[in-house]
Amino acid sequence: MAVIILISAVGSFYPGGDAVFGSLPFLVLIGLLAVSTALCSLTRVVPLWRGVMHPPIEVSDEFVQKLPYNASISGVTVSQVKAHWKGYKWHEAKSPDTTFLFAQKGRIGRFGPHIAHFGALLLLLGVAVGAAYGYANPYNNKIAVIPEGGTLQVDGFALQLNGFNVSYYNTGAVQDYRATITLIDGNLVQTRDITVNGPLTYKGLTFYLYAYDSNGVMESGKASWVAFQIKSDAGVPLVYAGAVVTLVGIMISLYVSHKRIWVKWSNERILLGAISNKSSARFFRDIDSMRAKLEDYSQARD
Amino acid sequence: MDIAALEHLGFEIALGAYLISSILFILYFSTKKRRLAEMGFTLVGFGFAFQTLALAARWFYAGYPPWVNTYEVMSFFAWTIVGAYLILNVRSDYRSVGTLVAPIAFAMLGFASLQPANPSPLVPALQSVWLLIHVPIVILSYCAFFVAFIASVLYLFKDKKLSERRPVQEALQPRDSAANAARAVSSESIGVLDKFSLDQLDDLAYKSVAVGFPLLTIGIITGAIWAETAWGSYWSWDPKETWSLITWLVFLIYLHAKTQNWSSSLAAYIATFGFMSVICTFLGVGYVLPFLETYVSISTGLHEYVGGGVVAGTVFFFGILGFMILLLLATRKKPPRPSDAPPATASTEAAPVR
Repeated sequence: MAVIILISAVGSFYPGGDAVFGSLPFLVLIGLLAVSTALCSLTRVVPLWRGVMHPPIEVSDEFVQKLPYNASISGVTVSQVKAHWKGYKWHEAKSPDTTFLFAQKGRIGRFGPHIAHFGALLLLLGVAVGAAYGYANPYNNKIAVIPEGGTLQVDGFALQLNGFNVSYYNTGAVQDYRATITLIDGNLVQTRDITVNGPLTYKGLTFYLYAYDSNGVMESGKASWVAFQIKSDAGVPLVYAGAVVTLVGIMISLYVSHKRIWVKWSNERILLGAISNKSSARFFRDIDSMRAKLEDYSQARD
Repeated sequence: MDIAALEHLGFEIALGAYLISSILFILYFSTKKRRLAEMGFTLVGFGFAFQTLALAARWFYAGYPPWVNTYEVMSFFAWTIVGAYLILNVRSDYRSVGTLVAPIAFAMLGFASLQPANPSPLVPALQSVWLLIHVPIVILSYCAFFVAFIASVLYLFKDKKLSERRPVQEALQPRDSAANAARAVSSESIGVLDKFSLDQLDDLAYKSVAVGFPLLTIGIITGAIWAETAWGSYWSWDPKETWSLITWLVFLIYLHAKTQNWSSSLAAYIATFGFMSVICTFLGVGYVLPFLETYVSISTGLHEYVGGGVVAGTVFFFGILGFMILLLLATRKKPPRPSDAPPATASTEAAPVR
């Protein structure tokens, strides 16, 4: 990753240095990063899934005592814990002399990094798909010049340029470029506008405003020809989906904490332990206040 | 009074307020008189209110959000930084950080005031809903990274100071040295740094990155979508895009450093380096490469607040490089230690269990 950063930095400094981003070694480097990311997630996600979905419930005293939060309470029963400690789904297990309770929240928090890794791989796959299909499409990256009133024929449909308008602010700066075209596909005839932020997409081809004949435009506001850039990128939906999945994974890993609580009742005494994979201060405070509440409650009953 | 004049008045008052509070904070820094910091803080809040007024007035009369040209972006960036400082001071006492924030805000507004301030009507490429979303999100992420940067630099200096004094304390009272060291750390007075513990600074840096990183991710995604509609490609490796990716990768390494429990000082260096990359993304690329020319002529004007020459750019980059080297030298611990984490840090480490 550090190497990619370095190469990117150098590549951006020199005019023409951006050729490095399409070069084979750079692509191989990105490929290696992708493979290592995939392997890292694949080797970890299965044991993680097992650990998170099937946590140990019948645990030893030492296990509980080694947790970052641990305490023992007397005079409180397991049923009181279950009745008053709301907001958790308690799982119960019994051995002859011991009752075990276990509850957890925010399991997804543990999978956040793997979701993000998956999203990044999806994005790279989208880039690869886009490149492969784009390469195969004869229209991709072509610049098409259409004279006013002229027609451009592509596979399956045609574009006719009706007009091109440039409007200006009072200061003389350009306010808007607008090409009006008619799309003809068999019986379907539609008139559309193409602007800088509003390209036209039809049957997998996208037409962007690219250039225009600027001679005399200032006076008439009209151009004798307009050039469109044609793009075909089948990978875009995958790239966007991958980006969104990555974002969601990042937010889950940063903001969702996985909290687990073990309760063990034996010899009239409760052993309580808890752990969280994120900032635990508030979680532990909540447990403290819950413990105080349980103790108060049991004393009031006595 | 017309609205343009109101904007200028608000801007001038904010500039003046930040200047006077900078002086107050510098006096506070040398005299340690608490009152000066309080006065400086109040004045920063006063300046912020007037800057808010100026930005709102400009949005109203220019007819587009105040983050398009250099003047506006600089002012808006300074505004978010001051805002973050004020917000952090609501729940905890970070007044003394004003010693850094006030002069920076003043310098940014001062730089803005040197730029042409007349609103320039939006070129076609900028007339998009993404202008309203993409730019403020990116600037907010920069602001969060700035907070992480300040916290990290403070962390590094504090860490160095502690590591220098600890051996002395240990030598004086060799028995039970860990407890003594911990006590020495908590009671020691070390200038402006003494307010915050290493853990607090480390935690603040992490939390800021935790806010900034998703924002930058959203910023890059929205930028890519915008580029796809305006330029016909969601990614074209222009310097701005490349540097935003570099920044993203550096903070990605930072987050991995945090989850893999690398040493906190290494993480602090990474965060500092990440902010240098933010500066490159924000300003530097425009100075090195007049890349606006590489854009398709019809859609120029995006990122128009950057611009400059190769010479300025070279000076700029060497400046950043020099800063990193100076920081490394200034925060390098004198006695080389076998482990990265000094004992007192390790014992009070927040060390979230994962």
